[in-house]
Amino acid sequence: MPAAHPAPLDRRDPATQPQGVVEGYAQTSQRWPAEPLVRRPQTRSELSGPQDLRRRLQPVRADLAGQGAKRALGQLIHLRARVVDEDGAPVAGAMVEIWHCNAAGKYIHPNDSNDAPADPNFYGAARLVAGDSGLIELRTIKPGAYPVPDSGGWWRPPHIHFSVWGRVWLSRLVTQMFFPGEPLNETDHILNAIRDAAARSRSIARLMPTERGPANALVYEYQLVVRGRGAAPQLP
Amino acid sequence: MKLIPTGEMTLGPFFPREFAQGANDLTTVNGRRAPGEVIEVAGRIAQLDSRPLDNVVVEIWQADNRGRYDAPDYCGWGRAATDADGVYRFRTIKPGATDGRLPHINFLLLYSGLMRHLQTVMYFELGADPVLDAVPAARRQLLVARREGATYRFDIRLRGEDETPFFDD
Repeated sequence: MPAAHPAPLDRRDPATQPQGVVEGYAQTSQRWPAEPLVRRPQTRSELSGPQDLRRRLQPVRADLAGQGAKRALGQLIHLRARVVDEDGAPVAGAMVEIWHCNAAGKYIHPNDSNDAPADPNFYGAARLVAGDSGLIELRTIKPGAYPVPDSGGWWRPPHIHFSVWGRVWLSRLVTQMFFPGEPLNETDHILNAIRDAAARSRSIARLMPTERGPANALVYEYQLVVRGRGAAPQLP
Repeated sequence: MKLIPTGEMTLGPFFPREFAQGANDLTTVNGRRAPGEVIEVAGRIAQLDSRPLDNVVVEIWQADNRGRYDAPDYCGWGRAATDADGVYRFRTIKPGATDGRLPHINFLLLYSGLMRHLQTVMYFELGADPVLDAVPAARRQLLVARREGATYRFDIRLRGEDETPFFDD
């Protein structure tokens, strides 16, 4: 008896998703397919997904900022991100991977050739599991901006990378979150590859009123919307 | 209320190395061995100028030999990253036919310079399959792996000659 699977997912509006080949981002014209993508029917294979990804991937680190003498340099931030589907229903148990550079704009990665300094108290990678309300919370520092090598002066604005699993294979979401009020947001080739202005604005986090947050950290809220509608109600 | 899915963005060049490792063996889960024939699935990923690409993140989702995607002794999800020669490698169970589909493995690619993830499907042979049927006939063979001993070889060309068919849903 095969398990029931959800109805086919709605197709995405291309204006709310990035273009494949982006002027100013040279690698895109080497890597994005020249042939049109093939529209396929959705079957159980694409409309199913692992029940518990912790069987393959272990959660690691909910705090990237550190404490006391081991505090990472930079502006302390508290990030509250909610994983929801297209109905706004929380995706309980969603796994989320997060990574970002340090306050000087340096990643802990062998591919990072920028000459900004490493921070011995900062390791910018976390893997979290959302609670029943779809919420994940991360204490970290605000990442810096950095130049993209050999790009003719393209600087990445401060941003945080997210890799998110929804309920099914087709719900996979990998994206980046930006910060409000950053001038470099206006010229970033990645954020601006999304044509729809409202969609771009949804990729920018919201700074919460400072009176209500912790005394030493700025609180940012963000929403990650994964594909899918009509989640089956939980059976008793 | 209808929300619009968040815009995808590229994985970028700095995906943590530790995240890309350690999940490319689908033959066991929580110490339990999945039933079925163990195979290796491997291939090289290249871009337009034929250069092989390192650190491409490759995720797969597949049924086991009985058509189960998720079971106490089986989890059909895995992840690998390509090495300096552009080669990814999975150890897995040969999938069975299920739900009117030919045996197949779903692939998802994440990489710097890919503005959003790419999806493709590996097959073991041509035949009637609603997803394969959606691909122009002349390109279907590009989705069929070549057998080399116990390895099924599935090379992926992102763009250019013999470009792999990719899907949109």
